[in-house]
Amino acid sequence: MPALKIDHERCTQCRMCYIVCREIDINAVYVALEPLHRIEIDMDKCTYPGCTACLMYCPAEGSIVEVESGRSMVPPPPEAWQEA
Amino acid sequence: MADLPGKDLARELIDKSRAEGHSTPVEAVIAAAREGGFNGDRAHRLIGRLWTLERMFYYIYGGWGQGLEMNDFPPSVKYLFSKQIVDESTHEMLYLDALLKKGLVATQKDAFRHPYGSFSVDSGLAYYVFSLRNLATYPHSIRIAALNLGPKILELGWMEGLAAATADAELRGVFESQFVENRSHVNMGRRVVEEFIEKPVDAELCRWACAVAKRDYNRFLGELSAFVLGREAPAPPPPRRQVTD
Repeated sequence: MPALKIDHERCTQCRMCYIVCREIDINAVYVALEPLHRIEIDMDKCTYPGCTACLMYCPAEGSIVEVESGRSMVPPPPEAWQEA
Repeated sequence: MADLPGKDLARELIDKSRAEGHSTPVEAVIAAAREGGFNGDRAHRLIGRLWTLERMFYYIYGGWGQGLEMNDFPPSVKYLFSKQIVDESTHEMLYLDALLKKGLVATQKDAFRHPYGSFSVDSGLAYYVFSLRNLATYPHSIRIAALNLGPKILELGWMEGLAAATADAELRGVFESQFVENRSHVNMGRRVVEEFIEKPVDAELCRWACAVAKRDYNRFLGELSAFVLGREAPAPPPPRRQVTD
């Protein structure tokens, strides 16, 4: 099953992914309890590729990547734009 | 750095608040946690109320932000305030994550609807929130001194005690994780006071505002502890004599 992760080298910690994920009640994006409080994605909760909402809101190019392929999903590739 | 104008004042406010940090009303909750009496519902009550308070900081800082006019303060002060907002937001997110991860609520919307997470105007929490919001009419350095060298130090003190007393590793992690931002608040308060409080009148205002913020925060903590432990909340203060002009 494809999954997403955060590239912390590129993430600006703007937290838009967190906000949208909470808003649609998926709650896969969370704040890690480590001292830097970085944003992470819980792969057990994330429904990608069924949901691509975080990709649409993320403003930082390359900061969300597909785990398996390692390809950048921001800005979202054409196949990510799909009907809900 | 010995010649910073507000260095002595910052030290004075920090020391005073640190001395009070281990004698807040939350000590009753900490004692219950030490005896293993900090169960799921009590944790839900505590985190629900703390989450509600953190949400209200968006409202408080909205008022404070309006008072940060262009050229009134150097850019460093504005940067520090944006850092304060991000830190406060992290507190809020950590509490909501804890509610969701512990299964205390299913969704964010449920957290808003739940009685433990709702905001009531007739409460000690609201009294404290409005007290802080009212500082919007004071210079930024004074309100940052009031909050960051007052309630934020008390909060760090009792939260360290609660984390040490909490047996549940997940809950302890939530409290311990907040220390980062709380220390950031304290350091920021110290820096702002050290650099920008120069006149004796401003120093007196800092002492006054810090004392008021701590008084109202302690009132909230009294209500919070009673709520967490299922006890009756402390009686509200007697009504003030109405002033007319």
